[in-house]
Amino acid sequence: MASQPHSLSYVGCNFLRPRLVLSTLSGRPVKIRKIRAKEENPGLRDFEASFIRLIDKVTNGSRIEINQTGTTLYYQPGLLSGGVLEHDCSPHRSIGYYLESLLCLAPFMKHPLRIVLRGVTNDQVDPSVDVLKATALPLLKKFGIDGEGFELKGGGEMPRLSGRGWKMAIIVILLPLQVLLPLPKKITRRGMPPKGGGEVIFACPVRKVLRPIQFTDPGKIKRIRGTAYSVRVSPQIANRIVDSARSILNKFIPDIYIYTDHMKGTSSGKSPGFGLSLVAETTNGTFLGAELASNPQGQGTAVLPEELGLNCAKLLLEEIYRGGCVDSTNQSLVLLLMTLGQQDVSKVLLGPLSPYTIEFLRHLRSFFQIMFKIETKPSHEELQGGEKVLMTCVGIGFSNLSKIIK
Amino acid sequence: MEEKDRKKHHKKHSGPKADKKRKRHLNDLGLGDDEDARKRNPKAFAVQSAVRMARTFHRTQDLKTKKHHIPVVDRTPLEPPPVVVVVVGPPKVGKSTLIKCLIRNFTRQKLIEIRGPVTIVSGKRRRLTIIECGCDINTMIDLAKVADLVLMLIDASFGFEMETFEFLNICQVHGFPKIMGVLTHLDTFKNNKQLKKTKKRLKHRFWTEVYQGAKLFYLSGMVHGEYQKQEIHNLGRFISVMKFRPLTWQTSHPYVLADRMEDLTNPEDLRVNPKCDRKVSLYGYLRGAYLKNKSQIHMPGVGDFAVSDVSFLPDPCALPEQQKKRSLNEKDKLIYAPLSGVGGVVYDKDAIYIDLGGSHAHQDEEEEVRPNHELVQSLISTHSTIDVKMASSKVSLFMDSKPLGSEDVENQKFVMPKEEKQIDLKTGRVRRKAMFEEENDDGASDEEEGQDEEMSEDEMDGGEGGDGDDIEGESDKEVPGQELGLRSAKRLKREETTEETAVELPAFADSDDDLEMSSGEEGETDLDESKEEAEDHGDEEESDKKESSGSDSESSSRRISKFTPLPHKEDKEQRENHNLDHHLGKKVVPTTDSGNCTADEASESEAEGSSQDEEEEEGSNDDLEVEESNRKGIQSAPDKNVDGVEWAELKTVEEEEEDVENLLKEEEEYGEENDFSADTAGALKWKEDLTQKAAEAFLRQQQSAPNLRKLVYGTVAEDADEEDDADEELGGLFHVSRPDKESRQKANALDCSKFPVETPQDWDLDEVMNSIQDCFVTGKWEADKDAAKLLEEDEELYGDFEDLETGVVHKGKPAAEGDEAGSEGEEEDKAGKEPKLGEEEEKKKRMDKKHKLKEMFDAEYDEGDATYFDDLKGEMQKQAQLNRAEFEDQDDESRVQYEGFRPGMYVRIEIENIPCEFVLNFDPHYPIILGGLGNSEGNVGYVQLRLKKHRWYKKILKTRDPIIFSLGWRRFQTIPMYYIEDHNGRHRLLKYSPQHMHCGATFWGPITPQGTGFLAIQSVSGTTPDFRIAATGVVLDLDKSITVVKKLKLTGFPFKIYKNTSFIKGMFNSPLEVAKFEGAAIRTVSGIRGQIKKALRKPEGAFRATFEDKLLMSDIVFMRTWYPVSIPAFYNPVTSLLKPAGEKDTWTGMKTTGQLRHERGIRLKQNKDSLYKPIVREKKHFNKLHIPKALQKALPFKNKPKNHEKKAKPTKDQWRPAVIREPHEKKISALLTALGTVHSYKIKKAKLNHHQHLKDYLKRKHKEEEEKFKRQKEAKKKLFRIMGQKEKKRQKSSLKGSGEREK
Repeated sequence: MASQPHSLSYVGCNFLRPRLVLSTLSGRPVKIRKIRAKEENPGLRDFEASFIRLIDKVTNGSRIEINQTGTTLYYQPGLLSGGVLEHDCSPHRSIGYYLESLLCLAPFMKHPLRIVLRGVTNDQVDPSVDVLKATALPLLKKFGIDGEGFELKGGGEMPRLSGRGWKMAIIVILLPLQVLLPLPKKITRRGMPPKGGGEVIFACPVRKVLRPIQFTDPGKIKRIRGTAYSVRVSPQIANRIVDSARSILNKFIPDIYIYTDHMKGTSSGKSPGFGLSLVAETTNGTFLGAELASNPQGQGTAVLPEELGLNCAKLLLEEIYRGGCVDSTNQSLVLLLMTLGQQDVSKVLLGPLSPYTIEFLRHLRSFFQIMFKIETKPSHEELQGGEKVLMTCVGIGFSNLSKIIK
Repeated sequence: MEEKDRKKHHKKHSGPKADKKRKRHLNDLGLGDDEDARKRNPKAFAVQSAVRMARTFHRTQDLKTKKHHIPVVDRTPLEPPPVVVVVVGPPKVGKSTLIKCLIRNFTRQKLIEIRGPVTIVSGKRRRLTIIECGCDINTMIDLAKVADLVLMLIDASFGFEMETFEFLNICQVHGFPKIMGVLTHLDTFKNNKQLKKTKKRLKHRFWTEVYQGAKLFYLSGMVHGEYQKQEIHNLGRFISVMKFRPLTWQTSHPYVLADRMEDLTNPEDLRVNPKCDRKVSLYGYLRGAYLKNKSQIHMPGVGDFAVSDVSFLPDPCALPEQQKKRSLNEKDKLIYAPLSGVGGVVYDKDAIYIDLGGSHAHQDEEEEVRPNHELVQSLISTHSTIDVKMASSKVSLFMDSKPLGSEDVENQKFVMPKEEKQIDLKTGRVRRKAMFEEENDDGASDEEEGQDEEMSEDEMDGGEGGDGDDIEGESDKEVPGQELGLRSAKRLKREETTEETAVELPAFADSDDDLEMSSGEEGETDLDESKEEAEDHGDEEESDKKESSGSDSESSSRRISKFTPLPHKEDKEQRENHNLDHHLGKKVVPTTDSGNCTADEASESEAEGSSQDEEEEEGSNDDLEVEESNRKGIQSAPDKNVDGVEWAELKTVEEEEEDVENLLKEEEEYGEENDFSADTAGALKWKEDLTQKAAEAFLRQQQSAPNLRKLVYGTVAEDADEEDDADEELGGLFHVSRPDKESRQKANALDCSKFPVETPQDWDLDEVMNSIQDCFVTGKWEADKDAAKLLEEDEELYGDFEDLETGVVHKGKPAAEGDEAGSEGEEEDKAGKEPKLGEEEEKKKRMDKKHKLKEMFDAEYDEGDATYFDDLKGEMQKQAQLNRAEFEDQDDESRVQYEGFRPGMYVRIEIENIPCEFVLNFDPHYPIILGGLGNSEGNVGYVQLRLKKHRWYKKILKTRDPIIFSLGWRRFQTIPMYYIEDHNGRHRLLKYSPQHMHCGATFWGPITPQGTGFLAIQSVSGTTPDFRIAATGVVLDLDKSITVVKKLKLTGFPFKIYKNTSFIKGMFNSPLEVAKFEGAAIRTVSGIRGQIKKALRKPEGAFRATFEDKLLMSDIVFMRTWYPVSIPAFYNPVTSLLKPAGEKDTWTGMKTTGQLRHERGIRLKQNKDSLYKPIVREKKHFNKLHIPKALQKALPFKNKPKNHEKKAKPTKDQWRPAVIREPHEKKISALLTALGTVHSYKIKKAKLNHHQHLKDYLKRKHKEEEEKFKRQKEAKKKLFRIMGQKEKKRQKSSLKGSGEREK
């Protein structure tokens, strides 16, 4: 036997996703102990179990061992296989929670991944499908992950951001039949917490190697697009959100369009709610996203749509203030893809590193022995928001071991 | 008539004549052109056939594109590792001689015995590592994988040998390095013609194997046991100018061809258990790709290991510094071959010898007094004096926590190199190792005298394995590092740097420490607060903290921490001081919080978040509120400038201290204000202290980078390691686990990638809004991109134009600062005003303009030609440039952190848990290769290959026979299954590999990237006369499960037959099985197709089936199914290097069943039914035809069986007696018969005669007849002619008559 690479050991349930994802990509087994060991309700939660199940679905030959109480998890990764899959996500976390990890894994499958995810499309904790579609997919394209069958449909419709005729006019799908129909302009199924009921299709082609990127100039923001959605509430709410959001954003740039998207019937999921997602696009193809959703039914106080619109617009401004070529939610994704590149130098300019990213960097080091060169770039005289961080690394020369050659 | 018929003259319009005429005419007119139109106007004649045109175009394009290679990023390092030259050939062909000659050619040194790789400097830019490859197929395979250049020696007097071809085939599989043939033994040919012939024959054969025109070198003969100098010189030249193309496997994997090995195992462990696993360090140049610490490697012939430590050493065989001269200095012609004893150290099986330099070895007496001749030499060549060395060495001693007395050194006598030399084999080795360990522990040993020091130095070198002494001595910078053991050297360096930083930027260190301390404390407070964490965690974290401040860096950091507060006290009043203290006291919270608002913050906010919210609404505890306000105050300020505030650093620089303090205070105040009153003040505050902020920003720029790095990665990795080590050394009680140290966030927090905005800024304020206004297209642009500016510039360039319609002339703006449009006078004026500056500016402007114009021109004319290929190439080149430039300016220490160890470095790799046989049976003649493995290449799984039996291998391969693969770095035995892919994609098992076709193969083994070539051999032991490479191929797919199937036919028999339905039994055993196969297609042997319908209740396993026709009871029904085959999980690395020396080529693994049977004489037990027996056919007996009576009646008489009654025996009266003649009668009858015969003969003869006569007569008759007929014909002819003439005449006369009449 080839000696099994020594496994990594961690404590606690935090960063479960990156640990499993990195373990899968690096082929090193991982052991996680003391998962909520001291809590009243110890062990893995539903959504984590669902995530582990998802990982099991997309891989072949992985070994997962969980002890009786669920406080210890041992994961020995197999090879990524992909294919046409379906997964029912836990309604405790939104689909974004699962999708973020799938985005990391999808380009390295054996068969192109086409997965239907069911669950909550928009919530307050995780990045929604709308925003991921608008920000993460263009990012993947920069690494050469593009082509036929690269799409993310669902959640909500995000207006076409660039006029380059992407095949990603985003729409939601319910039935396979509808996939074939010309893309409907309105959302067919969106699910809000607590009950969910939304559906998303994610498809991604496979690549053998990734391109290195030099992404250090974010450019200037040329347009802002967004979607105000409302399900199982008054259709007027979306308009109210739009008005309030525009009231702030109009001071900066005139090119703003926020779609209103009201869902009815089965396509509106099982719970009421509304929200807004905004995306700013720059001249250099950088996408910065922000979003806000209403409190789930029966939890917290009711939120005024105007307030939500304003806050979301401010969040976007905050994101713009942080700046960089990648928005804060996708930092870890871009860093991972840089790591997995050829043995060439990749550079990216980021805003301030989020705590998640910092932890992710540490994980990257322990899994791939890679360190990033981190340089702070202070904003000069210009009024361009906060400090930026220039991340540089040499890729590890990763190649997709799953892909079949003929 | 004639004139009429004559044609009119047509003027020639085409043809040469017309052309000539036309030309003349044109010439007369003066329009004449010498060239014809084709030349004059080629475009008009360009296309005659569009199709042909298209074809020629395609063809040229095809040819052009065929020449292209996919461009790859050039990743060769600036200082590449030595080129690996493998000298290969069958035994007694002259390999060693060639190597010796080459070495002598390059270095003017003569090596007596060559063991292992020899590295030499061959030119200003090139080094060579020459290694000999024996005939062991293991060695051949390993070396083919690392070779850059292969010198293939061929004995011309004998011709090619199998080894040569085997090696060529191995090379083909594992990436084809450059191969150069060298013909030796040419002097054995006496006949010149025969020599020529042989050369030609060998050359052509070589070309077919390598490529047409492959270089083949001829070494004509030996002089005094060496090859001719001139020939070797030429060969050397060829080698040193050769270019190499990058091979995929080599460029994507790091590898080291080890040229030195050391056993680092603890001697105590060895004593206790001599067979314990060893810890070994291996040295060599890193090649291929970047090597990361702690990564996985494979040692061919040993196994897989994890690198426990990597460090780089000064290059023992460095390239000369840049010099103008074309040739090398004698001094620079270095040679490095520790295994052969050139680097000063010889490794024997159980001892290490130090070579003291060849020709001066006899001066042993001197060495009693003086330490070492080589050392003295090295001393001479050093540029620094001993004093300097002493000084530097002393520095290291101070740093050492436990300085050694000189007595200690004396006690450890074995430390002395002199001693070393004299010790016998047995003690030498063991002691040597022990000494190495001590070194590590002690760091540096104390010496009083320069001599002693030198000796220790030497000894260290020995311990380390002897870098070239002369090299070592040369640079003083390296002296301390080399004098000490490796680790101590590292520590020393680090300490030096810390000290430096401490001197230069005391506050910086302080701030950092503060950051760390506070974070540690933070951890503690966190613990106290939440008390969720387990106790041990707390302990660990505490120890962690202690450790960070403690151990070796302790003193300096403490000094500094004491140092910083002083200025405050001096500068400030009591109140302020108090404030400061207060602030510092509270800093626990703010620093961590603001320290980039990261992990700590998150965890804190997690703990405090809820209370915070409540507070804002209700307002609770005073203490908390104060803290809260503090926090806020400090956070809100940075929010405008910085987000992650490296606050504490502000205090770092003493000059700024005061201001910063003020600022802090103000911010604090502001924070409070902010908290209690409205947010209005913030905006104004923001505007204040702009200068300070600038300074602040500058500082941040200076310091934040390392801090951010520290925040992310903790202290720099190696520092951390050192600390760990120190800790272990100290007590061994405390154990640090990294993840705990790293994860400052709560282990069980929410896993979310969002970056929540802690303190949202007030976006209603204009100032806040302004801070991002330039992020939008509507904002201000950088100078070179601003639309307005660009327009302006364009106007300058293209401003001048004349409106043709109106006749108005537009002038470009006369450029304000001396455009070219500006008049000279103006320029002069300006020159007067701003003498130099203006001119320069002007010049610059002009240049800019020129560049711009050129760019535009290029864009218009050059870019059009650029093909996709050119673009791609350009892109790659750009990337290569970036790769080179990115880390160029950093020192190796930090570079290694980011990139890993780059190829070209001389590295030392420590590996643990190596089997003891590796050390015990070490044989330097066998290459030791450390091949780096990529991610998950250390795992095992199912590997699918495309495989073809080698056309020269005599047998075919059998499924399930163990075979040895060479794949990637590895050689291993495994059990492959051969299959072929059917049209529907089904993988169908084959019993044997096809003879001349590709087939698939699957085995359980190490995962290796797709597209990697492999070869298979049946056995690596011994030599066989036959070609050994059994199969070659390529990896297609890797997976954790595989489906290879074989056919399975289930048979059954009908037991009840209805019309088209039958009941079948015997195919299954239970209704459940039937249920599984419902609907499956079945068939009878006679070809009637059917389908399984449903199980019957009885008998078990029977089912109902329908067919397209009625079955017979005698029919056999069968169903075709596919049964998945399991692949045996057998993976057995070939551990040939672990075999005892001299037996390394005798590794045998699992044997095939065939081999076992053959060895033990076990015959296969055959199935009796399968045996062939003589066929015995029984005589077939048919019964009589029996026709029923009724039928008989109905039959017509003709067909009726004739019922003849059996005739009774003839009665006596019917019975006639035979006649017996008398002798006389007999005679008569004989005579009669004879007469009769004579008569009949006569008649016959007469008849024949008659017949002949008749024939003749008829012939004659026929002739006559013919003659007669001829005659008649002639007569007739005559007659008719006459008649005809007559007739003619008559007619003529009659015609005439009438004609005359007409006239």
